[in-house]
Amino acid sequence: MYIQSKNRNIFYVSFLMFAVSCSTTNNTEESVYNSTVSSVEVSVAEDSVVSYDEKPITTNAVVYFDFDKFTLSTKSIQTLKSVVRAMNENPDMLITVSGHADERGTREYNLALGQRRGDAVKDYLLLNGINDNRVTVKSFGEEYPLVTGSNEASWSKNRRAEIN
Amino acid sequence: MKKILYLFFVFLNLNAELVLEITESSDNPYRIAIHDFDGQALISNEISSIIKADLQRTGEFSVLSSDELLAEETYQEELNYKNYRLLGVDYILKGIIDSKDEMNITVSYDIYDSVKEKKIRSSKIYGIPNKTRQLAHYVSDGIYEEITGLKGVSSTKMLYVSEGLAGSAKVYKLMLADADGMNEQTLLKSNSAIISPSWSPDSKDIAYVSFETGLAKVFIQNIATGSREVAVKNKYQISSPAFSPDGKFLSLTLYQDGNAEIYILNLENKNLTRLTNHYSIDTESSWSPDGKKILFTSGRSGSPQLYEIDLLKFNTKPKRLTFDGNYNAKASYLPSNEGIVFVQRNEGEFKIALKYFNENFSRPLTESRLDESPSISPNGNVIVYAIKEDKVGLLAGVTLSGAKFRLPSSSGEVREPSWSGYLR
Repeated sequence: MYIQSKNRNIFYVSFLMFAVSCSTTNNTEESVYNSTVSSVEVSVAEDSVVSYDEKPITTNAVVYFDFDKFTLSTKSIQTLKSVVRAMNENPDMLITVSGHADERGTREYNLALGQRRGDAVKDYLLLNGINDNRVTVKSFGEEYPLVTGSNEASWSKNRRAEIN
Repeated sequence: MKKILYLFFVFLNLNAELVLEITESSDNPYRIAIHDFDGQALISNEISSIIKADLQRTGEFSVLSSDELLAEETYQEELNYKNYRLLGVDYILKGIIDSKDEMNITVSYDIYDSVKEKKIRSSKIYGIPNKTRQLAHYVSDGIYEEITGLKGVSSTKMLYVSEGLAGSAKVYKLMLADADGMNEQTLLKSNSAIISPSWSPDSKDIAYVSFETGLAKVFIQNIATGSREVAVKNKYQISSPAFSPDGKFLSLTLYQDGNAEIYILNLENKNLTRLTNHYSIDTESSWSPDGKKILFTSGRSGSPQLYEIDLLKFNTKPKRLTFDGNYNAKASYLPSNEGIVFVQRNEGEFKIALKYFNENFSRPLTESRLDESPSISPNGNVIVYAIKEDKVGLLAGVTLSGAKFRLPSSSGEVREPSWSGYLR
């Protein structure tokens, strides 16, 4: 009785192993996906090219900021006072404020930070009587550093707003 | 006699800008024996070497080639599983390359389990002309998914930005390459900066930020045709694009409110919905895998931190996700939705970090000083990111199993990697 049932078990087990080994071989067939790629070249008109490489400082005024900050220092305010004076003396003068960040931190956050730095400059000018439509703010984030180098001496020169 | 073929071992396509280096592997890899494929020797060697590199780059495999196996085992029809187990081999790969017609290559391969002593997979891949590398990547992905249970990412692609010089002028390129850095193609060449490339979920379109108009603008470009358009036409700065998982929406950062705010653009009717409303910076949005939540960076606490908005509970206050450190930014969800990967500032250095939702701490994954732009592979196992070394930007990768690799550029600087979805 005992022996009989053992033999039957062996039969079942070997049948099961055969079934499992058939069903678990994974059979697949596929074709390599055909993809095409097109290349685009953007040639920007000469007058609208941002040329920070040839003319690093395109302005008579630059103000600098601390890391992750957009508050104006006492020294920056001295610089901006002279900008206000120049704009008052030249009522037709329109300016662009370009905000920049150093290489540390993420590129998108730095783009937003550059905008805040530019806005801080604009806010000061508006508070001192300059008309809103004379000031345009742009940010270039960390994309156009003035100085390359991964140290505080370089970073402090790159955290800036250029006024021109 | 067949051993002579090793003398002709040739690597093809070595003209790539990115060169893969594997720096560290995980502790307990699967050991797989890869026999030379039967068939034309040059193609066989090329395919074997690509598969070997693909598997090693995952960090989860240790590969034994034919010459490392017992000689008598190599060409035997019936596998002697015991001899493989003696060498610690868990799996065996055998294959045939059919390349009678030079333009059309077909690969058939079988995977055997040395412990279960049986064939566990039998696959056939039909190649297309001039796509031998891609064919090999398909084999690698088949092996990976059969053994690990996760889909492989060797056949996926990567976007990145390169910066170089043409004379004295800067040249920026948006590049497309295989996940191993080979087969590079230029998608966009410009004399202005390009940042934040990202993929549509079907991997047919890309979105990115270009400064070509003198102001940051988001463009959407079709990879196949090269046709491109500005995502939102207005006079303000726009950045940080991210496609929703269903491909119907694009989240982006608009500056029209005098401050960075996150909006959602309906790509069909071009309607914009404002998502954030705060006087501090809100940017770097990314979608949860189910499309129900949006993760973003905000300066509202006084330093950059990560927040999450539940799109189904509109107008509820965003939930803050990070509390350790004073700089946590540029996050994306793991495809499993079990956590987030982001940039964290730690003692003045920027690292890529991982935080699981069921843990109240984050784990730094990288160790250099200026790591940024993490992008997660579609299977969630690999993170590629940008580092700076001796003033030069290059790409590096880390797997969740602990393996590390680098994709240094042989010319110029590379950054802003972005991993595609599955392509096969």
